[in-house]
Amino acid sequence: MKKIQKAGLDFIIDKLTNSIENTSTGELFDTEIVKLAGTDIQQIKKADWQFEWHMELRDITKEIYKLTTINNPTIIQGLISLEDKQDHIFMHLIESAKFNKGKNKIYFGVPGNLVAYACKISVEKGYEGFLAFDAKSALIKHYEQSLHATHFRGRRMFIETSAAVRLISRYFKN
Amino acid sequence: MGLIKEPVNIDFSKKSEPWTEKELLDFRQLMQNIKARNKKRKIKSPGVRENKFRVK
Repeated sequence: MKKIQKAGLDFIIDKLTNSIENTSTGELFDTEIVKLAGTDIQQIKKADWQFEWHMELRDITKEIYKLTTINNPTIIQGLISLEDKQDHIFMHLIESAKFNKGKNKIYFGVPGNLVAYACKISVEKGYEGFLAFDAKSALIKHYEQSLHATHFRGRRMFIETSAAVRLISRYFKN
Repeated sequence: MGLIKEPVNIDFSKKSEPWTEKELLDFRQLMQNIKARNKKRKIKSPGVRENKFRVK
């Protein structure tokens, strides 16, 4: 049972913002999300991340995207690993940079931004915004409330069209 | 939208486990139903609007 509880994504949607927000000053910073290529591997220092992003980058079935502020594109605020399942997008991994975790995080809004982007990709590919992922049991309610995600079964969750459209319109107004 | 407060003592992330064939099959079935419903809505809505604003 314990093993089951450990699995699943446990990203926290701290705040839904059009950009990311400095937690202490409230200042907003415009962001951009860029796909990482295998050659960008040096941008990710293993010690700074919980997950093995180098391995994800080598996996040709997955696409990795980084979120940065426009003013400072060299500092990665968060990463997401996605797989095109031909009729939906599957979110394998999502992680905020270590300075965006915990009580002393620098920015709000990193995971929400990345999830909205994944939904946008799903719409662009003709999958009507469908995004599937696993959640930690304790956070299922949190995702239902913050992302309007649907609980499928066990730890399995998904975002369907109306929730995806809502997220995309919040983050990507153009 | 207001601030969504973080649950205490929970921090970042874990990996999604691969879904089983059965789970994927069931999910795809559900997804198809939702997509079909979305399609019906799209087809219905322009007709309704057209009638509503039709000038006689």
